Amino acid sequence: MNLRGNEALRERLASEYVLGTLRGGARRRFERLMQDDAALRRTTREWSERLGAMAEFAPPVAPDRRVWRAIEARLHWQAAPRWQFWRHGSLALWRTLGLASSALAALLLATVLLDRPDTARMSDIASLLDAQQRPALVVTADRTRGLMTVKVVADVPLTAQQVLQLWAVPRAGKPRSLGVLGAKRELTLPLPANAIGADVAVLAVSLEPKGGSANPDGPSGPILYKGGWVRLM
Amino acid sequence: MQGSALSTPATQADPAQLRAWLHGAARRDRLAFRALYEASAPRLYGLALRILGRRELAEEVLQESFVAIWHHAVDYESALSAPMTWMTAIVRNRAFDVLRHRRSTGEDDALDSAALASLADLAATPAERLQTSSEAQALADCMAALEARHREVIGMAFFHDLSYSDVANKLTLPLGTVKTWIRRSLTRLHDCLSARGAA
Repeated sequence: MNLRGNEALRERLASEYVLGTLRGGARRRFERLMQDDAALRRTTREWSERLGAMAEFAPPVAPDRRVWRAIEARLHWQAAPRWQFWRHGSLALWRTLGLASSALAALLLATVLLDRPDTARMSDIASLLDAQQRPALVVTADRTRGLMTVKVVADVPLTAQQVLQLWAVPRAGKPRSLGVLGAKRELTLPLPANAIGADVAVLAVSLEPKGGSANPDGPSGPILYKGGWVRLM
Repeated sequence: MQGSALSTPATQADPAQLRAWLHGAARRDRLAFRALYEASAPRLYGLALRILGRRELAEEVLQESFVAIWHHAVDYESALSAPMTWMTAIVRNRAFDVLRHRRSTGEDDALDSAALASLADLAATPAERLQTSSEAQALADCMAALEARHREVIGMAFFHDLSYSDVANKLTLPLGTVKTWIRRSLTRLHDCLSARGAA
């Protein structure tokens, strides 16, 4: 079948292809012809746009919520992405780590207390450890005044384009960004209720580009440090 | 977050916005994909429901289609087709796959005559028309200019995956008549839409 130059036939076959009435061998032949004929593909696309609009004649119907849940299940979105370290292992492990670091936190407390005249108001402390379980950051909270202080206690080499971002990781749901730490080694931030609530499983620090993670769902860079809150008073 | 399309999913989503979400999905942005779903699922589900006539089958097709949209978003070429056209083609093809399978196993119920009747009535009310794209409005106007039975035949073929002989059997018409009706109608639609596009 020679289609070249036969514009009427090309239009007719393209329209029947899109409508669906071109069947069987004729349909397969048309698909083969399209492979080597960009103009024919364009003609077919134009028919898709024209007749595809017929789909809108069917009234919209809101699908049940289970459809979206099924899509998430099919895409394995319930499984945690790689960076969500706290979702891979059991949460109990992280709570244990939080407790284990409490001993360290107590040791560190002395260091922190030395240069803080207002230690009496400190209500909670978290010691964030690196992969080798060495303390890297100390976060202290003052529930009364609604403030927290982040202090880098390890040597953390950052370029001018890098920052550390502090996250509160809840037992369920997305991590909450608490703040971004650049060149400064100490920072005082407001203490939101959701940074220290009972549902916070762990605090974590990720390495991010300047300005912090662009991903509204959580960290975009590697997790460097993590640790749990310890209530002091 | 772009909330407007999320809060009013029944209205026609802006193609530029849908395109942006589709590109987001191609970059593995789950929030963009979710927004795309919220904005387009009611329309696509309505289409699947119209083709298949059964909730559970339409839900399955919608689910499979969105899994395919996520996996193939990177193949979507915005210069070549509107996002809704691209997604519609995916849903329609999958729905037809299900329909063919059911027909081959004898499970398909008879064609829903109520659905056909409503298709024949394309003179949509103004309130409904606000929710369709300008392309669909143009198509509805051009289809309204066709004879009622020709319009019905075009609708049957589009929504029910019927061949010329299937349509001829359903309507007890000679095959040659059905072919002539459909081909003539397609030519008229082409001319009518081109004339409107040029205007």
